[in-house]
Amino acid sequence: MDCQAPSLDFAIIGHQENWQHITALINDIRTPRLEKLPVEKIKSIFSFIPPRDVFKINAKSKTGAEANGVYIETFIDPDMLDAQYIRTNISKVMNAVAFAKKLGAKVVTMGGFTSILLEGNFDSFSPGPSKFTTGNTLTAAFIVKGVEKAITQYGINLQESNILIVGATGDIGMACTNYFKGKTKKMLLCARNKNRLQKFALELIKDNILVNYSIVLDELIPEADIIICVASSTNIQMANCKKNVLICDAGYPKNLETTIDNPAAVHLFHGGMGQVLNGYSINPDYSKSMYHYEAPYISHGCALEAIVLALENKFETYSTGRGNITNDKMEEIYDLSLKHGITVAPFYNTKGLW
Amino acid sequence: METLQPASITIEEFNVISDIFSQAITGELIGMSNFASLVETIDDPHEKMEAVEHANSERSHAEGFMAYAKKKNLKININLHSPYWGNVRKQFLSYAIKKDFIACLIIQEVILESFAVSMYTDVANALGGEAGRLFHNIADEEKEHLEHSSDILRAELNKDPKAFIKKFEEIHFNCMTILAEFTATTDLRGHCGVCNGDCMKGALHHIGLDVTVMRGNALALYASALDNIGIPGEKSIIWIARLPA
Ligand SMILES: NC(=O)C1=CN([C@@H]2O[C@H](COP(=O)(O)OP(=O)(O)OC[C@H]3O[C@@H](n4cnc5c(N)ncnc54)[C@H](OP(=O)(O)O)[C@@H]3O)[C@@H](O)[C@H]2O)C=CC1
Ligand SMILES: [Fe+2]
Ligand SMILES: [Fe+2]
Repeated sequence: MDCQAPSLDFAIIGHQENWQHITALINDIRTPRLEKLPVEKIKSIFSFIPPRDVFKINAKSKTGAEANGVYIETFIDPDMLDAQYIRTNISKVMNAVAFAKKLGAKVVTMGGFTSILLEGNFDSFSPGPSKFTTGNTLTAAFIVKGVEKAITQYGINLQESNILIVGATGDIGMACTNYFKGKTKKMLLCARNKNRLQKFALELIKDNILVNYSIVLDELIPEADIIICVASSTNIQMANCKKNVLICDAGYPKNLETTIDNPAAVHLFHGGMGQVLNGYSINPDYSKSMYHYEAPYISHGCALEAIVLALENKFETYSTGRGNITNDKMEEIYDLSLKHGITVAPFYNTKGLW
Repeated sequence: METLQPASITIEEFNVISDIFSQAITGELIGMSNFASLVETIDDPHEKMEAVEHANSERSHAEGFMAYAKKKNLKININLHSPYWGNVRKQFLSYAIKKDFIACLIIQEVILESFAVSMYTDVANALGGEAGRLFHNIADEEKEHLEHSSDILRAELNKDPKAFIKKFEEIHFNCMTILAEFTATTDLRGHCGVCNGDCMKGALHHIGLDVTVMRGNALALYASALDNIGIPGEKSIIWIARLPA
């Protein structure tokens, strides 16, 4: 059909970060010819809309290959990400999954909170040709490679540094921990569920890794030289950081700058992000309202994982479940990513590029 | 006579239920008239008979609502020329005159039925009892109309997607705009001309309903109907986002 992508290599299932972004997008779709709708009116309709593809995406590789996909919006209310709304949200995600299958997408990534809602578990999906991935392997790879690049830039010695992972027992948190263990002075691990945290920490201690762990973030922060925040909560508070601590904010939404007590004294960048050097385009072009970065062609690692897999014709369930991301897998997807000219995004935060 | 007078329900509840029945009866009579108009414009004998059957089905819905209203002594106001319903009818006639069967199907069986099925279901759940059953039963029949038309329209889309989507888009903006204005929280075209006193929209809470939720549910069903027909998501989101709110 003329309105569909010629062949659907990939689909990205996602949701919007806040109502400001949604208002901008809806008014962009409305075009300036129609009166701008205030956020209250948009709120009264947006979350009712069933998931659907909103725009096509064409991504270009440095090899000359191209991948065609779509972005499928779940219409999840950004103020309703808490556990109490889990049933509504899971049902939206499952509808989006059905939509991606109907469109015949060969590989589908579950962006933002959508994979967390399902705990990365795709077992309940009815079988079909579409393959699903959480996108967490490339996200984790971009985080760790980004941190390595940043410490070089700041002359930080990794072996003499303590790395704090907030959200250490999560899929991405475990991947980052396993990547850095043995390369640092000490690993500092934080999560809310004590049993899970203790179990994970004890495994590392068995391997002779120096570990401090706590469910109280404040107990770990003063020791940290590097902080990777990959918690699935929107309200992480950070106080008493060391001066010039390096912080990789890779959670969703990336809002640590608003909760940290002294943002001027830290080096903070938004991590887990990549850049497509040969570019990507979206159609209809809503980038005016949807694109919020200071450099071109930036996107989330989870979205880019689907694009890399599509460019590689590697239509498989690459990342699934929790705790399955190995260092080898991270290196593999990162190498494939580089092959197609998709690199760690330039460092930036809400103030702009570093 | 059994009545729904203040002894069992409050005056506010009585008024809003009366208005809901007034709207439903008016809507059904519009549907009946639409199909009746279509009959004269169709040459194919089978399609002609089908249109008569459809008109009769909407008539029986109107009759069902009227019978209940009479039994309960509701205050019914029927106005086929009211600003919203009258305009929907005008839109329908403009296509019926051109013998555009597909356009008529889109207006009556997709746009109007999506709203009917969704809103009748919401009302049925809120009212419960005999009235609830009545609304549920009619919603079920309207659902069949919606599904039946989806099959025809899907086939039509496959014949020439570009032309079909262009045509659907035009009809969407001509007709759905009227329904969007009708169901907006604030009256965008003045009084609806059907409700007694103030428009019922502000009084729905007396029976546990909310116009925002009802409109949201109706738009959601409409969006799913569009998906079912095969309208691409990137089109339907534009159509919905550009409606008045
Ligand atoms: N490119 C990008 O930017 C991407 C970002 N993400 C984001 O990364 C984050 C992690 O994703 P993922 O690993 O899949 O999620 P998981 O659900 O697997 O892990 C989340 C982790 O965070 C912990 N956690 C949650 N709340 C808190 C808290 N308040 N304090 C400390 N720890 C907490 C959880 O443990 P516990 O429940 O025990 O606290 C768990 O260890 C999410 O925010 C996700 O949206 C994901 C993909 C791409
Ligand atoms: Fe009817
Ligand atoms: Fe009908």
